[in-house]
Amino acid sequence: MVARKKHYRPPGKKKEGNAARYVTRSQAIKQLQVTLGFFRRLSILKGIFPREPKKKFKGNNHTYYHVKDVAFLQHEPLLDKFRDIRAYQKKIKKAEAKKNADLATLLRTREPTYKLDRLVRERYPKFVDALRDLDDCLTMVHLFAALPAVERAKIDVELIHNCRRLSHEWQAYVSRTYKLRKVFISVKGIYYQAEIEGQKITWLTPHAMQQVLPDDVNFSVMLTFLEFYETLLGFVNFRLYHSINVKYPPILDPQLEALASDLYALSRYIVSNSRTSTLEPEAASSSTSQQLEAQEKEMQADESELRLAQLQHQLPSNEPGALMHLMENAECEHEDDQDTKECRRLFKNMKFFLGREVPRESMLFVIPAFGGVVSWDGEAAPYKESDQSITHQIVDRPTQGHKYLSREYVQPQWIYDCINARIILPTEAYMVGRIPPPHLSPFVDNDAEGYIPDYAETIKRLQAAAKNEVLPMPGVGKEDLDDPQNLLVEGYISRAEANEAVKTKKKMATLEKQYHEELQRELQGAVMKKSKQGSEEDAKASEESVPDPKQIAEDIDTMSKLGMSRKKRGLLEAIEKRKERNTARISKLKERKKKLKSSEN
Amino acid sequence: MGASKKESVEVDKKKKNSKKNQPPKKEKHDTEESVLAQKLEDTATDYKELSADDDSEDYKSVGESEAGDGESSGDEGIHNTGSSEGLAIDGHSEDSEPDQGAEESDSSEDEVAPRNTVGDVPLEWYRDEKHIGYDIAGKKIKKKERQDKLDSFLANIDDSKNWRKIYDDYNDEEVELTKEETKLVRRMLKGKAPHADFDPYVPYVDWFKWEDAKHPLSNAPEPKSRFIPSKWEAKKVLGLVRAIRKGYIKFDKPKEEPRFYMLWGDDASSSEKTGHLSYIPAPKPNLPGHEESYNPSLEYIPTQEEINSYQLMDEEDRPKFIPKRFTSLRSIPAYENAVKDSFERCLDLYLCPRIRKKRINIDPESLKPKLPSRKDLRPYPATCYLEYRGHTDAVMSISTEASGQWIASGSSDGTVRLWEVETCRCIKVWEFGEIVQYVAWNPLPELPILAVTVGQDVFLLNSGLGNEEIQRKVKELLQVETPTAPVDSGNKVSGWSWLQDDEHEGIRLRHFKAVYSVEWHRKGDYFSTVMPAGDSKAILIHQLSKKFTQRHPFKLHGLPVSAVFHPTRSIFFVSTKKNVRVYDLLKQKLIKKLETGLREVSSISIHPAGDNVIVGSRDGKLCWFDMDLSSKPYKVLKCHPKDITNVAFHRSYPLFASCSDDCTAYVFHGTVYSDLNQNPLIVPLEILRGHAISNGRGVLDCKFHPRQPWLFTAGADSLIKLYCH
Repeated sequence: MVARKKHYRPPGKKKEGNAARYVTRSQAIKQLQVTLGFFRRLSILKGIFPREPKKKFKGNNHTYYHVKDVAFLQHEPLLDKFRDIRAYQKKIKKAEAKKNADLATLLRTREPTYKLDRLVRERYPKFVDALRDLDDCLTMVHLFAALPAVERAKIDVELIHNCRRLSHEWQAYVSRTYKLRKVFISVKGIYYQAEIEGQKITWLTPHAMQQVLPDDVNFSVMLTFLEFYETLLGFVNFRLYHSINVKYPPILDPQLEALASDLYALSRYIVSNSRTSTLEPEAASSSTSQQLEAQEKEMQADESELRLAQLQHQLPSNEPGALMHLMENAECEHEDDQDTKECRRLFKNMKFFLGREVPRESMLFVIPAFGGVVSWDGEAAPYKESDQSITHQIVDRPTQGHKYLSREYVQPQWIYDCINARIILPTEAYMVGRIPPPHLSPFVDNDAEGYIPDYAETIKRLQAAAKNEVLPMPGVGKEDLDDPQNLLVEGYISRAEANEAVKTKKKMATLEKQYHEELQRELQGAVMKKSKQGSEEDAKASEESVPDPKQIAEDIDTMSKLGMSRKKRGLLEAIEKRKERNTARISKLKERKKKLKSSEN
Repeated sequence: MGASKKESVEVDKKKKNSKKNQPPKKEKHDTEESVLAQKLEDTATDYKELSADDDSEDYKSVGESEAGDGESSGDEGIHNTGSSEGLAIDGHSEDSEPDQGAEESDSSEDEVAPRNTVGDVPLEWYRDEKHIGYDIAGKKIKKKERQDKLDSFLANIDDSKNWRKIYDDYNDEEVELTKEETKLVRRMLKGKAPHADFDPYVPYVDWFKWEDAKHPLSNAPEPKSRFIPSKWEAKKVLGLVRAIRKGYIKFDKPKEEPRFYMLWGDDASSSEKTGHLSYIPAPKPNLPGHEESYNPSLEYIPTQEEINSYQLMDEEDRPKFIPKRFTSLRSIPAYENAVKDSFERCLDLYLCPRIRKKRINIDPESLKPKLPSRKDLRPYPATCYLEYRGHTDAVMSISTEASGQWIASGSSDGTVRLWEVETCRCIKVWEFGEIVQYVAWNPLPELPILAVTVGQDVFLLNSGLGNEEIQRKVKELLQVETPTAPVDSGNKVSGWSWLQDDEHEGIRLRHFKAVYSVEWHRKGDYFSTVMPAGDSKAILIHQLSKKFTQRHPFKLHGLPVSAVFHPTRSIFFVSTKKNVRVYDLLKQKLIKKLETGLREVSSISIHPAGDNVIVGSRDGKLCWFDMDLSSKPYKVLKCHPKDITNVAFHRSYPLFASCSDDCTAYVFHGTVYSDLNQNPLIVPLEILRGHAISNGRGVLDCKFHPRQPWLFTAGADSLIKLYCH
């Protein structure tokens, strides 16, 4: 028997409905007369994505594109350009196969290129649109900035340098204009959130470690994305720099760039003196290549700072004190929202010094973004460790040998927690050698979540206290008295002593907790007894007369569901399921917490 | 090779020239001096030839010089024209060769400018003139004053150096040879090489490659290609010219355009519509929660047991991220999935279909349909008021009497009981000893007859209610006349027989298969029985007054479940497991087929107005059919998790109920409007509980009170309950 077609359509009749409006991917490829790789590349660059037809006429395991989308691709000039390029590559190949090296080199010199700026404009007609979609772009560029160059995956050095440059430019802008809002150190990397033109832009930078390149990743797809992202970020940076009257791209001598730390000192010097002279490349030219190599590492960390200095430097330079002028200007700018002002003031009048082991790149980005001044343990640092005006030294090591009395020694997490809380937190919990308090995500709305971690509550109290301009809670104040941190500051005190102090404090705290718990238990017990009696009575009553109200409510619920359409019922069930899952999660957390507490006691 | 051949061609031409020149030369110079000069010249050229480049022609001339005869002047001419190096060495010799001056003037006389510029003309032309020619500035060179022959002779005799003096006719002067020159001359006179350092006996190097050639030279005619310009080269040049013209080869570097510029100028101006499909931005990746922190609160970290339990989970359910805790920032390792995560995001971006979904915070309450409040729909049965205890096993079926004063119940303990509704008193008990499947009261109040199905039999029992007249009438009816016996025997093939049952004081209607249910016609005379295993005779219609039985004349498609009469008209509903068929009994034809779409229909009930039907099924679904509307259910209510055992309409109130094996009975409000355009209103009112499960069965039957909004339910726990409003 001949298999009958599922939907018979008389010959000559046009398709209708979804079948006319959508095509599968293989159909689209056939229509465009391209290979799958081409199609993929084109759709990535054009931002064409599959759409979901209401009825999947070819089955579930097909990807459907809208015919208009396909037509959009078909009219893309880039398609022809790609074809040209491919034909050209064939020419080169042919020349090479015929051992016509001259022709091959001649052809290589004039390879056709293409530009993506039109596509950027087409996809993001407004600047805000581009900002809205910038998350993935930034994450990817920052990731590639941390990747090693691999020939096998066609990740060349130039690409990585470009990514690094773009990311530093972006960071310099964010830092310079105090747009950074939230920072979160996760296991995956460091999340930053900035707010630009009302758009919240979140991106992830990997930790500064050697990244592993997995084998099961199709790099050509990623590189196509990156190609577009690079262009996009370039234009976005241009626009942003333009908005603060700074020339883009920042003109940096490549040698100077390599010698970033030297340049940092130089530009700082220039800025602090008169800001009239221009950059002097000869300063760098004297350096040898060995130095270059040595300082290559330095460069990564310092570049953002360098850019910052550069930004300051490139201000209208005919006027002495341009930087100051700008600062005044900025202060005059009332368009700055409250948030920005707050952020700018957070680390004002604070001087930081980074230890060698601290992730410098992140710190150099973050601290200036909140109005702080920062230096590091390195050759070209703006000020040395011995500077007396340093207020905080950021240290991430088990013990700190020599200590200055005039400054506080804190772990890097303190900076991030301060930023997220928007207040200067007490430092005693972040002292050297201690396990810092939990680092909480600033992206979670604790109240909506239904579960508030302990530390979030303490931070909340501190925030409230800071707002009211009153000293922290009495309990906290008391703690401050026997705070080992204070003792440390006051005089030399051995580590053992400090530990002892900590232990006694802990003991006290646990005792206090026990007492509180007992109290609570007593209270609860009383209530429980009462409620038990009550419930028994209730039970009796219910047995006698009315079924318990729970049952009634349930009945009403089920009955109301009876009349619903299937779709709505499904929706409702999904909502209920989600709620249930949430509550289960929270209850689990609470249970764990209880267990932990009991094990502590 | 081509070039050298050309040279040789030129050389040949010059050879001819020099041959032309030479004969007059010899005639002219008869004097000693001229002979000497000639000799000098010859040897000089010989020498030069030897010192010239080692071409293939060299060995020939070397051989000649060895032979030592100076006559072969033709060859010498060649070599003179070839190059001037030899002349440069003996600086003066050029002066002594006036005949060749013209020829050589262009090439070899750069260092010493010739004084006379007349060229190669016979000097006798100037014999009578006062000058011998012109210098380079064009001025006449005067002849020297002629000495007397005698004087000169005397002077020559006196002069010891006279022998080395030579008169240069051309320039009209005497040249004195130096010692070196004389040495050269002497060596040449001896037939030796002029230069002392020259070794004529160097070992011979055979530069010629003797590849199949007998002779070093070929006398093949010169190929044409040597005479005409190369086509290939011309082509190449042409190609280059063309490439330049077309701009393939560019000499000026392309101007560097700035890579980035102000792409978004004014946002206000760029609000043009693309005319394309709307862009759906990809959802942003989820923001990290507390648990992703490098140092989360301790309660976020799962215990080891929990982590182990993840391994047992299905891969899809397994949490993708397990929180970890690092006590300091420096101890965080690199995240191994960084690239992979990014790649997966890329895949999501270009491969995932996107839909614009409105994610409003939906209040779950808003999803529930707006229904009239239950209070307005009262009265309806809500609470259990009475229980009828007495059966010892599951109550299979109950039936209410038309007046509403009595109910009858059949149980699997083999008894049928008659209860008074208000007092819960059991009035009467019939014992059958077999499971009572079904009981049904005659709908007429004046005929209190009870139909009971037990196994293969249907009993028509006299309930013993009512006054004497009624009793008499009933007893009359329940008398089976003997004449029907032969009819019975005749019908034995079809397998039913009307028998008098004395034990129960009624009629025993014997069937050939187990009877499942019995339903009365509204007028109380006819009743139908269903034998699911009875094939074509599964449904029988009996007439009580005539004790007559007939087969349902239509073919059944599937197993019959129940057969019901229409409450007002002569329409008959037969439900099989899948469908409900509606027949007109008067016209004897199928009116309608209701497609339930259910897996297994268990019960059916007709709305008292007759246009709506509810069907209960074993998959817990209740279908409401509007007969006027469609053959598909108007509404399907999935209310019970287990089988629906029975459904029932109230005769007067807009109520209907369903009972199920999950021990519940649902009461619904179901208003049917007389306006055909308005759909029936169905509102669930109450869930009635109270029965207990026994042997996996719950509530087995439910019936409404004929007058009051009360519901009787029969449970497998041997109880009958009355729910009142």
